[in-house]
Amino acid sequence: MEKWECTACGYVYDPAVGDPENGVPPGTAFEDLPEDWVCPQCGVGKEFFQKMSA
Amino acid sequence: MKIIIVGNGLAGTMAAKTLRELDRRAEIEIFAEEQVIYYPRPNLIEFMAGNLPFERMFAFPGVWYSQEQIQLRLGTPVKKIVPDSQEVEIENGQRLTYDFLLLANGASAFLPPIKGADKKGVFTLRTLSDALNILDYMKSHPRLVVIGGGLLGLEIARAAKARGADVEVVEFFPYLLPRQLDPQGAALLRTEIEKCGIRVRLNVTTDEILGSDEIRGLRFKNGEELSADMAIVAAGVRPNVGIVKEAGLAVDRGVVVNEFLETGKPRIYAAGDGIQHNGRIYGIIPASFEQARLVAANMLGQRKKYEGTIPSNTLKVVGLLVTSVGLVNPEAGGFEEIRRENKEGGIYKKIVLQDGILIGAIWMGTKNGVNGISRAVTQKLNVERWKQSLLEDDFDFSIL
Repeated sequence: MEKWECTACGYVYDPAVGDPENGVPPGTAFEDLPEDWVCPQCGVGKEFFQKMSA
Repeated sequence: MKIIIVGNGLAGTMAAKTLRELDRRAEIEIFAEEQVIYYPRPNLIEFMAGNLPFERMFAFPGVWYSQEQIQLRLGTPVKKIVPDSQEVEIENGQRLTYDFLLLANGASAFLPPIKGADKKGVFTLRTLSDALNILDYMKSHPRLVVIGGGLLGLEIARAAKARGADVEVVEFFPYLLPRQLDPQGAALLRTEIEKCGIRVRLNVTTDEILGSDEIRGLRFKNGEELSADMAIVAAGVRPNVGIVKEAGLAVDRGVVVNEFLETGKPRIYAAGDGIQHNGRIYGIIPASFEQARLVAANMLGQRKKYEGTIPSNTLKVVGLLVTSVGLVNPEAGGFEEIRRENKEGGIYKKIVLQDGILIGAIWMGTKNGVNGISRAVTQKLNVERWKQSLLEDDFDFSIL
């Protein structure tokens, strides 16, 4: 599964880690995050994220 | 221990959040000028564009503050700082004592002294209430001119266009995004922007905002005129230094801080868009974030040094991916610039080297290598050996 990066603050969402603090278990793909999930670092929405390339 | 934070933008909020993570007991109180809980400013654009509903503007739900035992006083700006007695003054002359104070009161939109800028229909965009006012006015005033072709100006243009406005961007520089791009990259961007139906006018200085009570248009120094029903001025921001200066703290263009983000008065730290560190004012989210975390740690007894933040922007301007890292427009000699452009593919890449060391890059129209190049610039890698192949589309950054 691919990592996604927040374009506002640089936070990287790693599906292997998830976002347990906010109820997202490890193994959750970015696409499967709830629509109202926000960047745990700066708080922008999913639309500010972009898939990381190599 | 009582910590008072001035400002509920990113720096103030993230400092509070970090303080709470590190210390369950500290008393934390945030004073905010705005009437609403923290929202990330980039959300303003998506909200304006109609992509983000109002209730999703906010990073944390309202109950977050009480859960974290962070006191938030909305619509209650700090009026005065009294460093000698470790107090701040709010409305009605009420004073509160702090053990530590964080100045995170940020910056305000800069409105240049253009004649007629006080007319109805002239806006800046910095706060949620600005965004609401703009949207409201735009309903009956659909011809918009955006003064300023920087990041914010272009984002505003895109958002307004998405709302059905007729948009023209005017820029004083001979090219768009003068801080992030060079003329060649900016030309490519301009083409993409015009494809979206947004007009662009470069090399113009706004001389006067025309109209009697309401704006009717602009007149430029070169004599040209343009008609418009409303204007949004995106000419950058200026640190809020008023109360800081009055309190006798060191202020230059921003609140001056040392490497520990201390202000020079005991127990007063500063972070975010309002500070000046090593002569520099950042005004970008990653910098504010780093500073906020560092201040929180230092208030709790650590001695972390702020090393500065390398500006890095990856954004989708009208659907075109634009990444700009480090120094992209060297003005003096002694730098090497290597470029590659594929006009049909809408791709432009450039690297800036100093003695083989990568110090800046522009990456447009492709995702390939964005993270690799950003990392390489941030780490100031020596890429002399690879400087030609680095710009190939399939370059493997893992060998660096």
